[in-house]
Amino acid sequence: MEAFYLIKIGEILLKLGNRKEFEDRLRSQLHRRFGAAGIAHKIEMFPGRYFVTVPEESAEDADFLLSRTPGVNGYARAIKTGKSVDSVLAAAVEVARGRIASGKKSFKAESRRSDKSFPLGSFELSARIGDAVLEAFPESRVDLHHPDFTINAEIRERAYVFADPEPGLRGLPAGSGGKGLLLLSGGIDSPVAGYMMARRGLALEALYFHAYPYTSKEAQEKVVSLAKVLATYAGGMALWTAPFTETQLKIKKDAREDLTTLMMRSAMMRAAQILAERIGANCIVTGDSLGQVSSQTAENLRLTQSLTDYPVLRPLVGVDKEDTVALAKRIGTFDISILPYEDCCVLFSPKHPMLKAKLERERRAYDDLALDPLILDSLEKAERLDVPFTLTR
Amino acid sequence: MTYLDWASTSPPDSGILAEAARVAADSFGNPSSRHALGTAARDRLEEARSRLAAAIFGPGVDGPSATAGASRAPGRLAFTSGGTEADSIPLLALLRAALNARRDGSIKRLHLVASEIEHAAVYEEALLLKSLGIGVSFVAPEADGRVDPGKIGAAVEKDSALVAVMAVNNETGAVQPVAEIAQAIARAASAFGRAPPRLHVDAVQALGKIGFDSRAAGAGSAAFSAHKLRGPRGTGALWVAGEAGGASGLEPLALGGGQEGALRPGTESLQGAWAFAAAAAAARDNFAQRAALARNLEERLLVGLSSIPGALALPLGRQARDERYSPYILSVAFPGLAGEVLARSLSDSGIAVSTGSACSSNSKRAGRRILRAMGLPDDLAGSAIRVSTGDGSTEADIDAFLEAAAEAYRRLKT
Repeated sequence: MEAFYLIKIGEILLKLGNRKEFEDRLRSQLHRRFGAAGIAHKIEMFPGRYFVTVPEESAEDADFLLSRTPGVNGYARAIKTGKSVDSVLAAAVEVARGRIASGKKSFKAESRRSDKSFPLGSFELSARIGDAVLEAFPESRVDLHHPDFTINAEIRERAYVFADPEPGLRGLPAGSGGKGLLLLSGGIDSPVAGYMMARRGLALEALYFHAYPYTSKEAQEKVVSLAKVLATYAGGMALWTAPFTETQLKIKKDAREDLTTLMMRSAMMRAAQILAERIGANCIVTGDSLGQVSSQTAENLRLTQSLTDYPVLRPLVGVDKEDTVALAKRIGTFDISILPYEDCCVLFSPKHPMLKAKLERERRAYDDLALDPLILDSLEKAERLDVPFTLTR
Repeated sequence: MTYLDWASTSPPDSGILAEAARVAADSFGNPSSRHALGTAARDRLEEARSRLAAAIFGPGVDGPSATAGASRAPGRLAFTSGGTEADSIPLLALLRAALNARRDGSIKRLHLVASEIEHAAVYEEALLLKSLGIGVSFVAPEADGRVDPGKIGAAVEKDSALVAVMAVNNETGAVQPVAEIAQAIARAASAFGRAPPRLHVDAVQALGKIGFDSRAAGAGSAAFSAHKLRGPRGTGALWVAGEAGGASGLEPLALGGGQEGALRPGTESLQGAWAFAAAAAAARDNFAQRAALARNLEERLLVGLSSIPGALALPLGRQARDERYSPYILSVAFPGLAGEVLARSLSDSGIAVSTGSACSSNSKRAGRRILRAMGLPDDLAGSAIRVSTGDGSTEADIDAFLEAAAEAYRRLKT
């Protein structure tokens, strides 16, 4: 048996000139994800609706995959059938059977008809579906306002019948917005920022600064685990791990104590600028949230921003921490983020960190540190890990 | 790898393991069975018990029994699954005592005194008992890492049923004044006109390392572990003073087939018992010679550390050959460098040490409990590592550690 899915798309439909590009991207994203998961699949595209057919035993995995693919607005197991009234009614009874078996009783029917040669109008078809279901399941009843489930019939190139689509991620297909370089730490915020931008169509590569032996191998493994979760949304990603100990030690030695954190963040942004150029990214993504820590004041963000000419996308800049935590829990990164391994900032904990950098003065302090040779060396030694899409739940 | 983490575990003696496996395979009967195979296994088990008792209490002492005892018997010695279980039996017995009292309708307040430097096997149990309504008083150590007997005595209340103080601290090596503590408990109890509460001693880091006789010291029970002295994991022992048959007043929480004098039910592991006895006997052989060697290594370590600028032996002022400390365990602070970072770097240089107790070094919060209890500031406590030696450690091990630690500290200190 096969599982047949109807996929609803949303924002892509609003694209005018380049809609085909978005559609192709979603198609190739689906194709790559099913392929990476080892699921035999067939994708069909019609205007406004996609369809995927997979083996029945892969249905659960397909649900997971579709729920994590940006650009998918919603999806539902559906029955496709010929465009005769009888076959549509029979399919509607089948769809209702599953719902009623799971204890639902009240329903309504909604029909859409783009093929006007179909002998019944939408309203009439809905009424006939209602009659057919009531007849097949006398315990059911029609409720147009608060139904337990809704049977949808769509008459297009074929007829499709389904009930209550699952919500998708919405957003835009991965890669349609280009590629972003995500500064990924082991914390709560940066994975959420990566998720938010992947959902807006960015393909992701991530950069993690590893300060061994100040940070442990466990901390590094934790970041790999986070990347694996992010990859289920981004459709696979790359994770760069750059050894940053030497850079940090130089900062610790030569920078004024209250500036150490800020200088480190600046050095990280400089490294991101260089790597972004190298990998062809078109933006940098961080988990900064205004005022959350001293390096995230507007003044200090201005300094770190001065180290790059890429747009630095900070999707959490105006998000309250509790909302970020809730989102982290929902997307499955929170439990990993709170594992108790030190991140790379442990080296620096100035008692009174600089809160409001003066751009020119602090930028001069940064330039005087002459960190570029160390940063370049760090990127030279950086290791790239390919993190493919998996069915990791 | 240069192994200087003997206080967390020791390399097992493969000859002993093989011999024990053979004995257990030959005498495979259940020691509780009445047939000849069972009797044979029982005989070997009792042989192991006598041998372990001789190693713990000295060869001249009458062998204790798990079941019955003459009036002169030095109590009961029960094999357990390890030091942690041996600690848990007397502690959790308090729960049974408390519930028994409740059943009789005479709801009785029970009280426990424990030092703040106990191993997690005692400390966490004490916190559990506290959360379940048993009164617990924790007694802080002095700056030298030792518990003041007077403070233990002062913490004893009229309802105190148990006092738990370890013999040798697993992070600092501080040898606790157990005999003086037993006397202080007795004095405090007599002021209430009652018999003294049981003194339970976690002697896991003492057995085979320092001359400690739980019975002579006046303890009521003591916990031992095999794997700290080249024996296998999964085997320990609980010694309980007094006669068998309830005179000790120790009713364990776990019940079963009544094995091990009903202190620790479950079919006995002859293999573990045999290996533990053999390992303890080996540790007792040439004890004085081994102790002298350990003191030499301790001195070499302390002298070497004094030439690393900034490094501080803990507790501050610890000197070599001080009988108040086990020669086998030393904590050292390297201010300005987190202990876990140094341990990681040393591991890369082929040297195994740990930060505090291996049982707590995974937890940032609990990791420095013992050093903090001694009044050391957080940053100093957080910069400590534990170096522990054992039978087989050499001067070359100490020198390799000193060289690598000096280099790593210079490079990584911030």
